[in-house]
Amino acid sequence: MAASGPDERLLPIAILIDELKNDEAVRRLNSIQRLGTIALALGEERTRGELIPFLTESNDDEDEVLLAMAEELGKFVPYVGGPAHAHELLPPLENLSQVEETVVRDMAVESLCKVGEKLPVKGVAEHLVPLIKRLAGGEWFTSRVSSCGLFTVAYPRLPADTRAELRQLYSQLCHDETPMVRRAAAQKLGSFAGAVEKDLVAKELLPLFTDLTADEQDSVRLLAVESCGAFATALGSDGCRASMLPVVQKFAADKSWRVRYNVAQQLVALCEALGAETTRSDLLPAFVKLLRDPEAEVRVAAAGKVAAFSKLLTPALIVSEITPCVKELANDSSQFVRAALAGVAMELAPQLGRGPTIEHLLPVFLALLKDPFPDVRLNVISKLDQVNAVIGVDLLAQSLLPAIEELAEDKHWRVRLAILEHIPLLAGQLGAEFFQEKLGPQCMKWLEDQVASIREAATTALQKIAREFGRDWTREHLVPPVVAMVRNPHYLYRMTVLSAVAALAGAVPGDVLRGTLLPAAVACCRDKVPNVRFNAAKVLQRMAPLLDRSALEGSVKPALRELADDGDADVRFFAAQALWGCDHPNAA
Amino acid sequence: MAGNSELDRWIEQLKRCEPLREHEVKVLCQKALEVLVEESNVQRVDAPVTVCGDIHGQFYDLMELFQVGGDCPATNYLFMGDFVDRGFYSVETFLLLLALKVRYPDRITLIRGNHESRQITQVYGFYDECLRKYGSVNVWRYCTDVFDYLSLSAVIDGEIFCVHGGLSPTVTSLDQIRAIDRKQEVPHDGAMCDLLWSDPEDIEGWGLSPRGAGYLFGGDVASQFNQANKVSLIARAHQLVMDGYKWMFHDQLVTVWSAPNYCYRCGNIAAILELDEHLNKNFKVFEAAPQEARGAQSKRATPEYFL
Repeated sequence: MAASGPDERLLPIAILIDELKNDEAVRRLNSIQRLGTIALALGEERTRGELIPFLTESNDDEDEVLLAMAEELGKFVPYVGGPAHAHELLPPLENLSQVEETVVRDMAVESLCKVGEKLPVKGVAEHLVPLIKRLAGGEWFTSRVSSCGLFTVAYPRLPADTRAELRQLYSQLCHDETPMVRRAAAQKLGSFAGAVEKDLVAKELLPLFTDLTADEQDSVRLLAVESCGAFATALGSDGCRASMLPVVQKFAADKSWRVRYNVAQQLVALCEALGAETTRSDLLPAFVKLLRDPEAEVRVAAAGKVAAFSKLLTPALIVSEITPCVKELANDSSQFVRAALAGVAMELAPQLGRGPTIEHLLPVFLALLKDPFPDVRLNVISKLDQVNAVIGVDLLAQSLLPAIEELAEDKHWRVRLAILEHIPLLAGQLGAEFFQEKLGPQCMKWLEDQVASIREAATTALQKIAREFGRDWTREHLVPPVVAMVRNPHYLYRMTVLSAVAALAGAVPGDVLRGTLLPAAVACCRDKVPNVRFNAAKVLQRMAPLLDRSALEGSVKPALRELADDGDADVRFFAAQALWGCDHPNAA
Repeated sequence: MAGNSELDRWIEQLKRCEPLREHEVKVLCQKALEVLVEESNVQRVDAPVTVCGDIHGQFYDLMELFQVGGDCPATNYLFMGDFVDRGFYSVETFLLLLALKVRYPDRITLIRGNHESRQITQVYGFYDECLRKYGSVNVWRYCTDVFDYLSLSAVIDGEIFCVHGGLSPTVTSLDQIRAIDRKQEVPHDGAMCDLLWSDPEDIEGWGLSPRGAGYLFGGDVASQFNQANKVSLIARAHQLVMDGYKWMFHDQLVTVWSAPNYCYRCGNIAAILELDEHLNKNFKVFEAAPQEARGAQSKRATPEYFL
C-alpha cells in the first residue's frame, strides 16, 4: 500500500465510527467487523468510556450485525486494558446473550466464556456470578438457556459457598419447565461435571443426570446421551460402573431412534471411560443390539464404530460376537450402512490376525468390493493396504486381484482413480513379473481413459512403477507401448502420451532417452493441433535437464526455436518459456 | 494492466474458490473487455474443442468438469453461457472463466446466456452474492458490463453452430446475427433476445414460448437454418436435460447441460461434448462433485432465491 499521511490514516477510522450508525445494515456490519481497529484507534480509555457503552445500547440491530458484534467482543480484552478491565465487556455481551436469534446468543455465550477466562479471580465472583444469576433467573427462556453455558468457566475459581449456590442453580435449570432450557442444561452437564469436585459429581450431579435421562422429551434425552462420555470421565470408573451402566443400557433400548443413534455415536467414548472389562461383560450385548437395530440410521452409526469398539475386545469375542454382525451388515439393505461398514471393516484385520481374517473377513471384503454402490467399493479400496499387511501378498493376489481388475474398469471414475493410486503400492508387493502379467496392460489402458484426471494420474503411477522396477525393465515393458500411442488420432490422448514420455524420461537408460523418448517429443512439435505443440514445448523443458549438450543444441533447441515462431500465441509463449528454461536450468 | 504472471496467480487463487479483491476484478474486467470487443457475434472456433452448457455458479461441479474434460489450456473449451445465478459461487465461477479467457483467448470461448443480464441476475442470485461477498455492488457492475461484450454465438469449423438458447424468426442467416449491435443489455424481444431465450420443441414452425421471451421452434425450422447456413448441427444449452445431453430433430440439434444435480437438488447428471480435430463427437457425462471435494461453505442453508 502507498505511504499515507497521518490524516489519511485517521480518516478511514472516522468513517468506520460514523458507519457504526449508518442506516444501511451492510455498512454497519462492515464497521463492526473492524471493531478491533476502531478500538485500537480510540485507545483503551475511550473504548471503555465511549465505545463499549455505545455497543451496550445498540443491541437492537440486524442479526448479522449482532452476530459479528458478539464475535468481536470475545477478542476485546486487550483493547479495554487487559484482564483488570475485562468485566466492562460483560454488559454488552449479557444483552446479546438474551436476544431472540439462537446463533447470536450462542456466539455471545462463547465470547462470555472467553472474557470470563481472562477475568481475575476476584472479578469472577464480583461480576460473572451475578450475571449468571441474572440470566438463570431471567423471565424469558432465552436468557436461561444462555446461562447454562457459563457455569463451567466460573465454577473452578469460586469459594465453596458460592460453588454450592451455583450447583443449586444448575439443578433448577435441569428441572426448568421449558424443554429448551432443560436441553441446554443437559448439553452442558458433561462439561460442568468436569469442573465440579469428584465426590460432589456423584452426590449432586448424578441425580440430575438420571432425571434428564428420563426426561419426557426425546430431544432432552438425546442431549443427555451426548454428555455421557464426559460425565463418565468426570465420575471416574469406580463410580461409573454402578451408576452409568444401567443408564446407558436403558438408552441403548430407548424407544426413540434418535436417542439410540446418539448412543451408538457415543458408545466407544463411554466404553473407553468404563474400561475393557466392563465393555466385554456389560456393553457388548448393547452394541450388538445396535448393530441389528431396525432403524438404518442407527445401524450406520453403529457400523462405523465396529473397528473402534472391537479394539476393546479379544479376538475370540470379535469372532463370536462381532463378525456374524459384520457379515449381516455387508448385505444390509441400506447402502449407507454398507458404506459405513466398508470404511472401517478393513481395520478389523490387524486385530483378528491372519487366520481368522482369511476365514471370516475375506468373504466380506470381496462382497463389499462388488457392491453396487460406488462409495462402498471406494471405502474398501482406500484401506486395502491394511489387509495386505495381514494376509500377505499371495493370498491378496489370488482372492482380491480379480475384484481389483474388475474395479479398474469401474464406471465411476473416482473408483478407478482410487484403484489406480494403489497400483504403485501393489506393484511393489507383487513384484515385476506378476505385475506385468496382471496389471501392466491395465496401466496402459488408463493412459487412454475417458477422464482426464485418470490419464494424468496414470502417468504419475507409471513413473513410480518405473522407479520401482528399474531402468531396464522400464525400457522393455513401459517405453514401447507408451511410444506407440503417440499416433492416437485424438489430440487429448496424444498429450497424455507426451506427459507419460516426460514422466518416464528420468527412469530409462540414456540411449533410450535420446533415441526413443526425445524423438517422440520432438515429433509432437509438428503436430497440427496447437495444444499438442505447446505441451510438447513444456515437456521438452522438463526433459532438458536430463539431456547432454549435443542433444540440447542438436534437437531440443531447434525444435523450440521453430515453435517460438508458431502462428499460435500460446505455442509461442510456452516455447519462449521453455527456451529460457533450457538456458537457465537452475532458475526453476 | 494485468500481466501473464498476475493472471496465472489469479487463476490459481480462483481455482481454490477464493474470490479476487474488488480492484483486481476491475482490472480483470477491463482487460476482458479489450479481448471480447474483438470477437464477432458469430465467433469462429477451430476444432478440437469441448463444448459445455450451463454452469450456474456451481463452482465445485465446474472443477469436476475440468477433471473429466481436462484442464484449460490443455483442452480447448467453448462455454455456451449461463455461468452465473442459482449456485453458491457465481462470482468465483465467472471470474475464473473470465481470467482463463483473458489469459488464453484462443483456448477458451465464452458466449452469452440469458442469465448474463442485469435484470435476470438481480432476481436469481448473482447480484445478492456480489453484495454479500464484497459489501457493495461494484463487482456486479464490472461483471455485467463484461456481459454486454460477450459474443452471441459461435461456429466450429464452419460445421457446428453454437448458441445459448436457439433460433429466431428474424434470423435466417448467420450474417443477420453478425449485423446485430450486441453491446447492450439483453433486450426484451428481437433477434438478440431470441438467440438467448428460444427452445426447440416437437412442433412445426414457430410457437409461443412459455418463458415469456424467445420462441419455440420446430425441426423444420432447424433444418432450414442448417441448410441455409451450411452447418450440420446446432449445439445449444439453456434447458435442463436429465442425462446431460439430448439429441433432437434427427440429430440436427443437441442440447448440452453441464450443471450436475442442478440447484443441488435436481438429481440430473451433466455432460460435455468433446469434439476432436476431425469433429468426431464424444459426450462425457459426469456427476456432482462429492461432498469432500467441496468447501465447508456448501453446507450453508439454501438461499431463498432458489427455484
